[in-house]
Amino acid sequence: MSLSEQNFPKLIIPPIENLHRLDVYRANGGYEMYRKALTMQPGEIIDEVKRSGLRGRGGACFPTGLKWSFMPKGNDKPKYLCINGDESEPGSFKDRLIFEANPHLMIEGILIAGYAMGIHTAFIYIRGEYHRWVRIVEEAVEEAYAAGLIGPRMKETFGGSYSMEIVVHKGAGAYICGEETSLLNSLEGDRPYPRVKPPFPANVGVYGMPTTINNVETLANVPVILRMGGEAYSKIGAEKHPGTLLLGISGHVNRPGVYEVPSGLPLLDIINDLAGGVPGGKAIKAVIPGGTSMPIIRGDALEGVMMDAEGLKAAGSAIGTGGIIVMDEDTDIPHMLRRLIHFYHHESCGQCTPCREGCGWLEKVLTRVDTGEATSEDLDLLVDIANNIEGNTICALGEAAAWPTRFTITRLREEFEAKVKPTLSLPVLNRVHSLRPSAHEEAAAVSN
Amino acid sequence: MPTITIDGKVIECASGKMIIEAALENGIDVPHFCWHPALSVSGNCRMCLVELEKTPKLAIACSTVVADGQVVHTNNERVVKAREAIMEFLLINHPLDCPICDEAGQCKLQDYAFEHGRTASRFSEMKEHKDKRVPLGPEVMFDGERCISCSRCIRFADEIGEQPVLTFVNRGDHVTIDTFPGTQLDNPYAMNVVDICPVGALTSRDFRFKARVWDMSFNDSICPGCARGCNIQVGVRNNEILRLEPRTNMKVNEYWMCDPGRLGEFKYVNEDRVAAPMVREAERFAESSWDEAYQRVTAKLRTLRPAEIAFVGSAYATCEENYALAKFAREVVGTPNIDLVPHSDPSFADNRLRVADRTPNTRGAREVGVAPDKSGLALDAIIAGVIHGRIKALYLLDHTLPVNDELAAAFAKLDLLVVHAWNMTPAAEAAHVIFPASTYAEKEGTFVNVNGMVQHFIPAVVTRENERIMGMRMSRLDRFGAENDRWTHGRRRDARPAWQIVQSLAKVSGFNWGYGWSEDLFEEMARKIAPFRSMTYEMLDTYRGVELGRGDRPTPHGFTYVAHDLRPQTLAEHEV
Repeated sequence: MSLSEQNFPKLIIPPIENLHRLDVYRANGGYEMYRKALTMQPGEIIDEVKRSGLRGRGGACFPTGLKWSFMPKGNDKPKYLCINGDESEPGSFKDRLIFEANPHLMIEGILIAGYAMGIHTAFIYIRGEYHRWVRIVEEAVEEAYAAGLIGPRMKETFGGSYSMEIVVHKGAGAYICGEETSLLNSLEGDRPYPRVKPPFPANVGVYGMPTTINNVETLANVPVILRMGGEAYSKIGAEKHPGTLLLGISGHVNRPGVYEVPSGLPLLDIINDLAGGVPGGKAIKAVIPGGTSMPIIRGDALEGVMMDAEGLKAAGSAIGTGGIIVMDEDTDIPHMLRRLIHFYHHESCGQCTPCREGCGWLEKVLTRVDTGEATSEDLDLLVDIANNIEGNTICALGEAAAWPTRFTITRLREEFEAKVKPTLSLPVLNRVHSLRPSAHEEAAAVSN
Repeated sequence: MPTITIDGKVIECASGKMIIEAALENGIDVPHFCWHPALSVSGNCRMCLVELEKTPKLAIACSTVVADGQVVHTNNERVVKAREAIMEFLLINHPLDCPICDEAGQCKLQDYAFEHGRTASRFSEMKEHKDKRVPLGPEVMFDGERCISCSRCIRFADEIGEQPVLTFVNRGDHVTIDTFPGTQLDNPYAMNVVDICPVGALTSRDFRFKARVWDMSFNDSICPGCARGCNIQVGVRNNEILRLEPRTNMKVNEYWMCDPGRLGEFKYVNEDRVAAPMVREAERFAESSWDEAYQRVTAKLRTLRPAEIAFVGSAYATCEENYALAKFAREVVGTPNIDLVPHSDPSFADNRLRVADRTPNTRGAREVGVAPDKSGLALDAIIAGVIHGRIKALYLLDHTLPVNDELAAAFAKLDLLVVHAWNMTPAAEAAHVIFPASTYAEKEGTFVNVNGMVQHFIPAVVTRENERIMGMRMSRLDRFGAENDRWTHGRRRDARPAWQIVQSLAKVSGFNWGYGWSEDLFEEMARKIAPFRSMTYEMLDTYRGVELGRGDRPTPHGFTYVAHDLRPQTLAEHEV
């Protein structure tokens, strides 16, 4: 039975019309899981999330329950929860669907997480380009405030002494703001430079206070876990990366979009069944499985690759944000990589040396490769530059630019070799000087 | 106290320290650009990447706290490779315009490129271009292409200058530094960013393009701009001062000096100097020989009673000079009338370095006897005495004494007005005899700062008088390991420190003091004046200043970070 015919559980985006409306959400059991949470001790909730095996959906797959347990106990200083809705990785668009289709699930997740960690203020950070979705979330938060589900009145609504304020913050449009410590600086009104770690946000976060930063989808899973129980949730999908995943599929497929499926399905089946295969029945040249910074997988290596953290690790890649980008046999891979690195060059914040200088260099060389003004040596140089960036930067954007460069060139080298020349014929020895209009005259003068 | 191992060396260090500090304090130089001990850690240059055993990724030494049992490698293959990579990245868009760059010769980027860089560039693309002449303020010029975005200047403006006007703008390799709209970098400490800039991106608008650093000599001195006594180095080429820069002394000024000191305290050394002893003939000054001037002064003093003679010392002069003057007044002339002119400007004081007393040595002058005895006249009484004709001879070590019309008229009636001056001032204009005085930059001696710190300094500019002592000091390799700093070039002025002039006057009167050097006076002071007891010039140098009264138990100066010195900076060098 093909995947599209199977009836997978839709836990995050259930097929209910107008679920983004508070009345509809409540009619379908909304905010009851927060009520349930109040009957539990905060520690029990964290244990339940640990038991569920939930791993962060923002890219790093860090166990959520463990992350929550890093927050200092006690109320001697304010603690904050930040919801990372920057979703700036190219090929990722799954959080947007949560904002649009089920924002209250996220809000309920925020309340439960806040209660579990003793946090009374949450910031939902949404990327600037998501104008429309910022509005949707703002409306949902306002509605919840009006209904006494958030804010001081929630004590009356739900009983107990816990209350939570939620602030929706719109970013100004920079990829780097998705890096959690950049997000904190951006939220504070500073230049979004990633912070040097340690200290980690759990100790020194926004406004210098203990802070937990969770992805939108991660928090949307929390009410689901309370409803099902951690034990049952941990049985969905892949053992080491359980739950349903929102996979954003784009590129050369017949039915691009966001699909909610249990983790651990075969990647090829996802592409061919759910996403309807490649237009024109063409072969797949390559797939990036988790947003553009994740290592690319060759089309001929897709057989048997499973779509979960461990499965993709085994395939030499990573699940990242679950944004699958499919490239058919006609794709110009060097051109694709050039465009990709153009993005990372444009978005490098410029704080630390390797990424600031390296990304621009990568793009310049890739531009030459793409336009046929390079040799095989330049391909080796690209890999070396990528290696020199990787591991030497303040934040993971260094890797985000280095990985696609290195893996695309090493795994699909023949695509690049086809575009480079054995040697470059330059009018004068220096390549930059050769670009001068007078270079050919100079060369002629020398030969005379 | 955690014990860590760096490159096989076992080090015990205070907990909470960063690896880079622990290393530097123990003579291991971890290459770095953005870290500065007085500024917050930014960790952006990545030059100080080191390997920690049992840690998968390299860590930056400037932001990794020492932990007991840590094993750090600063020079193994992996670290060297990473450092090479960082150098390569820093240099690809750098203009490499060292031949015209002020910083060349004392540039961290240049030195590290030799030490840690690749020999040939692999970069064959067009470089990024940025603005090259951006005035950040009245004194500081910014070159965006030379900048390595280390953020030292931004952090300085925020944290030390307390004027947060600098920021990064743009992203990626277009990042550059700018002032916020409507602001400029004009705080009184702004020019320190020029010193802490590890490259030539920030230059002094006063100094830029004037000289190569290896053409200059840098001698240790003390800024005479206020009673803080900031330690400075005097940059001299062809016997002309081209710039002053702060010298680290954690007991006095830490790493900084103020802009008015930096810009205001050398032009008067270079320009409009009194060139020779001057003697008034009728209404005009005539140059005279030193001996002729001494005779003239001595002859006139002999005609007067001691009570008719008054001396004004100078808080701009050294302790030794004031000591000699006080000794002359009391022992040779026999007058108790001696005081000094206060130069206080409360508006100059701030809560960092600057103090209201605009002279370097009020405390020192007082300690060595420039203060009236019970029977003597204080400054006000001396001035009143001059005006009312009770004082007939006035001997001024301080040529900056303010002169109003009444005092000018009174000066005209004096039998003798002697002024030690380096520039012509109203007081000097009124004198009968002017002695060309050595400025702070031309003499050796000591100043005592506002906190009672006795500090020794040496000449930086050669005069006919100090040529011998300068020759002895300067005939050695300079800090660039070359003998080619041009201290021997240029004109020598004929100026003398006051103690020599006063000693010569004493000699004419038959008192043979026999001081050969300033140090001879200091030795006598250390014997006779309690607060200076047990002090020597050598001790003052070793401890970088000794507090009055603590000659027997001076305070160690501790670790000293020199921003532009790539030699390992160890305590051992000045072990105390």
